[in-house]
Amino acid sequence: MDPKNLQVLVDVNLKSVAWFYPELWLIFGSMGVFILDLVWRKNRGRVRLLAGATLIVLACSGAALAMQPADAVSLFNGMIATDSFANFWKWLFLAAAALTVVISSGSQEFAPERIGEFFALLLAITLGMFLMASATNLLMIYMAIELVSMVSYVLVGYRRADRKAHEAALKYVIYGGVASGVMLFGMSYLYGLLGTANVTEFAVKLAALSQGFAGAAPGAAAATKLALVLATVFVSAGIGYKVAAVPWHMWCPDVYEGAPTPFTAFLSVGPKAAGFALAIRFFFGAFAGKMGATGLADSVAGIPWPAVVGVISAVTMTLGNLVAVVQTNLKRLLAYSSIAHAGYMLMGLAAVSATGMQSVMIYSAIYLVMNLGAFLVVILVAQSTGSESIFEYRGLARRHPVAAVAFAIFLFSLTGLPPFAGFMGKMYLFYALFERIGIPGGGWYATLALIGALNTAVSLYYYARIIRAMFLDPPYEKAAPVEASPGGQLLLGAFSAFILVFGVWWNPIVNWSARSLQIFRG
Amino acid sequence: MTISANWYLLLAAVLFCFGLVGVVSRRNILVVFMCVELMLNAANLTFLTFARQQGTMNGHAIAFFVIAVAAAEAAVGLAIVIAVFRTRGTLWMDEVSTLKN
Amino acid sequence: MLLTAVIFLPLLGALIAAFLPAGEPGQHRGWAFFVTLATFGVSLALWAGFDSRPGAAEFQFALKVPWIASAGIGYHVGLDGVALLLVMLTTALTPIVILAAWSVTERVKEFLIAVLVLETAMIGTFAALDLVLFYVFWEAVLIPMYLLIGVWGSQNRLYATVKFFIYTFVASVLMLIAIIYAALHAGGSFDYLVVRDALRVGADAQKWLFLAFAVAFAVKVPMFPVHTWLPDAHTEAPTAGSVILAGVLLKMGTFGFFRYAMPLFPDAALQFRPAIAVLAVVGIIYGALMCLVQGDMKRLVAYSSVSHLGFVMLGLMALTAEGLTGGVYQMLNHGVSTGALFLLVGMLYERRHTRLISEYGGIAKQVPWIATAFVVVTLSSVGLPGTNGFVGEFLILAGTWLGRMPGTQLLAVLGATGVILGAVYMLWLVERVFFGTITSDENRHLPDLSLREAFVIAPMIVLIVVMGLAPQPFLAPARPAVDRLVTRMQEADRRLRTRDPGRPPSVGGQQPALALEPTTAPGALAAMPPAGGSH
Repeated sequence: MDPKNLQVLVDVNLKSVAWFYPELWLIFGSMGVFILDLVWRKNRGRVRLLAGATLIVLACSGAALAMQPADAVSLFNGMIATDSFANFWKWLFLAAAALTVVISSGSQEFAPERIGEFFALLLAITLGMFLMASATNLLMIYMAIELVSMVSYVLVGYRRADRKAHEAALKYVIYGGVASGVMLFGMSYLYGLLGTANVTEFAVKLAALSQGFAGAAPGAAAATKLALVLATVFVSAGIGYKVAAVPWHMWCPDVYEGAPTPFTAFLSVGPKAAGFALAIRFFFGAFAGKMGATGLADSVAGIPWPAVVGVISAVTMTLGNLVAVVQTNLKRLLAYSSIAHAGYMLMGLAAVSATGMQSVMIYSAIYLVMNLGAFLVVILVAQSTGSESIFEYRGLARRHPVAAVAFAIFLFSLTGLPPFAGFMGKMYLFYALFERIGIPGGGWYATLALIGALNTAVSLYYYARIIRAMFLDPPYEKAAPVEASPGGQLLLGAFSAFILVFGVWWNPIVNWSARSLQIFRG
Repeated sequence: MTISANWYLLLAAVLFCFGLVGVVSRRNILVVFMCVELMLNAANLTFLTFARQQGTMNGHAIAFFVIAVAAAEAAVGLAIVIAVFRTRGTLWMDEVSTLKN
Repeated sequence: MLLTAVIFLPLLGALIAAFLPAGEPGQHRGWAFFVTLATFGVSLALWAGFDSRPGAAEFQFALKVPWIASAGIGYHVGLDGVALLLVMLTTALTPIVILAAWSVTERVKEFLIAVLVLETAMIGTFAALDLVLFYVFWEAVLIPMYLLIGVWGSQNRLYATVKFFIYTFVASVLMLIAIIYAALHAGGSFDYLVVRDALRVGADAQKWLFLAFAVAFAVKVPMFPVHTWLPDAHTEAPTAGSVILAGVLLKMGTFGFFRYAMPLFPDAALQFRPAIAVLAVVGIIYGALMCLVQGDMKRLVAYSSVSHLGFVMLGLMALTAEGLTGGVYQMLNHGVSTGALFLLVGMLYERRHTRLISEYGGIAKQVPWIATAFVVVTLSSVGLPGTNGFVGEFLILAGTWLGRMPGTQLLAVLGATGVILGAVYMLWLVERVFFGTITSDENRHLPDLSLREAFVIAPMIVLIVVMGLAPQPFLAPARPAVDRLVTRMQEADRRLRTRDPGRPPSVGGQQPALALEPTTAPGALAAMPPAGGSH
């Protein structure tokens, strides 16, 4: 290679580092926590020390993120981009990681001797999610997803003595391996057909490819189109697997049940949100070309992709909700509920519009808080009773009123009842759909909205079952008393306050997401 | 005699299908893992073919990374398989099914 | 600001109550009673300050501040006459309910907090002038009501409360998506006034929107055939819950028709009107017939609610000034008289712990005051002249008879049979419970009204008599709102007629002297005869 070109390449990379501090903090922080884990091996307060160190790393990463210039820049020769869109998600990931650290440091599911590994690996996952939110190159997308997945496999099987944990990890690794293999194969075809791995160039190349169809022999054009469609479907499978959309959801309930609960909570909000960030950037930033009614359909082989996403969304939420109805283990119930919520968020994707993206961002932020809160209550109750069965929640209102009221708030919010934050999240999703009804051939959006509304009603049924157990059923005579540490109660209070405040005053989130909507474009 | 790129693509596609079918139909965990590797390598072959065809280096670079990632994935996967084997003493998928609705 | 104060005073009271010690039920009762009484006091200022002259502003005490400006959502509240009356009903009933609930001994603090939150939500529902705000208040009613029935109800409460919750929630979710759709087609604003003026949708879309709203409201009313949650909810609810449910919550449904479903989608409303009117009449007769076979007093009163609310709906659907005014008046009447019935049944229940009619009989001698009150309330419920019930039912039936809906006179006649059946089941109930010979020994030593109970029931009796003899102060505020709705519907009717020349006019009365015949420009309304004077 020409030495001068090489010099340019190196220069670009060195300059890019200036925008990479948040990630660097995570990389070196993760290593640092591993080392501290060894240093503090015999220390009695090691859980607190390590949790503190991890929080400091996250805080430093956050500080670096806050100090970053806000403009959109392409880094490392087009591997990743930093823009306000990525930053929005990065803040969510930092919050999810920090809250998970706090929750798990009070959890008994982690032996003090091994909690350092957990924190360090959590930082690694956070790094992976950062990269997912900002990847603009097929290779980077694959690497980021694999980083998140692989560390997740390990953490799902964290509890060594637990048969369930191993089984969950095994299922996760197999499903994950297949999903990433399929996605990679799809990527290889995208790379071959479009001649580039840089997704920001996809829109242009797709347009050129489509124009080529006109002149080509009919057979060749059809073959290319088929390859393009298959490749897109394969890549979507990888992303669908990350957000647990039907039909790539099978791993979800088993993994959620087998993983340590704090990590389940993290999985349900972190990597899922990262999957949506990636999906938005990949499909809207790259494929859609212009943000138009039919932009996506025009650009990729004439398939009505928004409608395809709409169907997936409808199926996902319906299946998630219907299966959740019959669950009695709360972790499994919340797993299916999280599948259903992925379905709701897919409605925003299906809208293929700025509002749609914004609604997904808003919903992810709210979902983060309400779902972490719900899992926090599950953790508290499981610590006192040793079980996640719904029967342990009978009479919780008397056994621990704070936990019961907080759980009720989270569940009502998950249902989407006003005046809780989940309501406004749902409202924006519906809003995004309705904006699109007027476009030609957009009538199916009304159907999707109707399905979404009915699903909300179904979800009320199983959420209300928990609320009924907590408030209306008397406790068992031998029910163990539920105890929560002051810190846990404080956290519950903070989550509830967030849900209530943003249920009636959601301007900040909306404005923030609106400001963050600039996606880096080539 | 040169072999046209399409034959490589076809080979890769066949490998991929073998892998996918194997994952779905084989019940031995180790074989399933090998099938996953087969899928990854099919993708690698496709990347390389297209890279050769277009004369760019991107595809080669991707293939290297994929090999490394696949190795890491195999390491994690095998570690989990060993853990499962220790607790259950089996490598058959059907016998690892405590988690159900 | 005054209106906002009325809305949020109970919520503020609930917040403060949350910090009072749980072990002091007396303190909580006193505080809640004080707060609700204060709310009533402040709302009296609304009553006094309301200008019900024809030229006055449509929505008074209005306050509009941006809330979520980016989405076109504002905090916009204001009252027209109908909303004013319903707010007054709410603020008047709640202290009575709290006084009546003095006998609740279990988890008093939570109970009273639930009632206070409920009051805020109910007032807010009537006062909201922004669709999202309305929806928030509308749904906020559900949770406290769910808890009131579920925690403090009787044996079968779980089934009842879950049924209530799911029924109403399913229906209102559909309304939410209709709200969003409507707002988007009215320039992206959720403000009620903007949507009402700027809504531009096709005829088909309007039908669906109307249906989505109408189903949500019909469930709440409840109209036949979506009424089935009501008997269960009423029967299982504690007395306070029943009174609020019957007194105020059901009116949210009829109010919804009056305020939202009909003015927002007048064309569709006219098209569905005959069907709704028929369902209303079916509800009247079905409810009355069901009353005849009930053995449970509360269930009987619940079914009588189905019948009475059928009258309200019939009056609203008549779309004559008389019918609408009667409908509005009957909303108040039903709140007062059925509320009073539930209070009295609750008192009997506290004495005997049974609601079965067969357990009673001949107790008038033991509890003469309760019997007297019960008889007065019964007479109001059956619409005896001189009581409030008469005014409302007469206006509704007259309005329906004079209306121009196809087959309207048949509907009026059928509705009138409901009045007769009503007299039968109510008087029969009184006879079986209070008169005859005492059949059960347990009934021989029942205590009569205590002083507290007397204070609970006295205001209701006074209202029954006052509203029966001097309805004008209560009818007057409703007049401008009713006239505006009639005008609006007439415009829609004219639109439909220009599109379909063969269609006969269907809004307003048959006699030019009574109704708003073709001359109607809004200014001509002042010439209308007072609606209450037509009987």
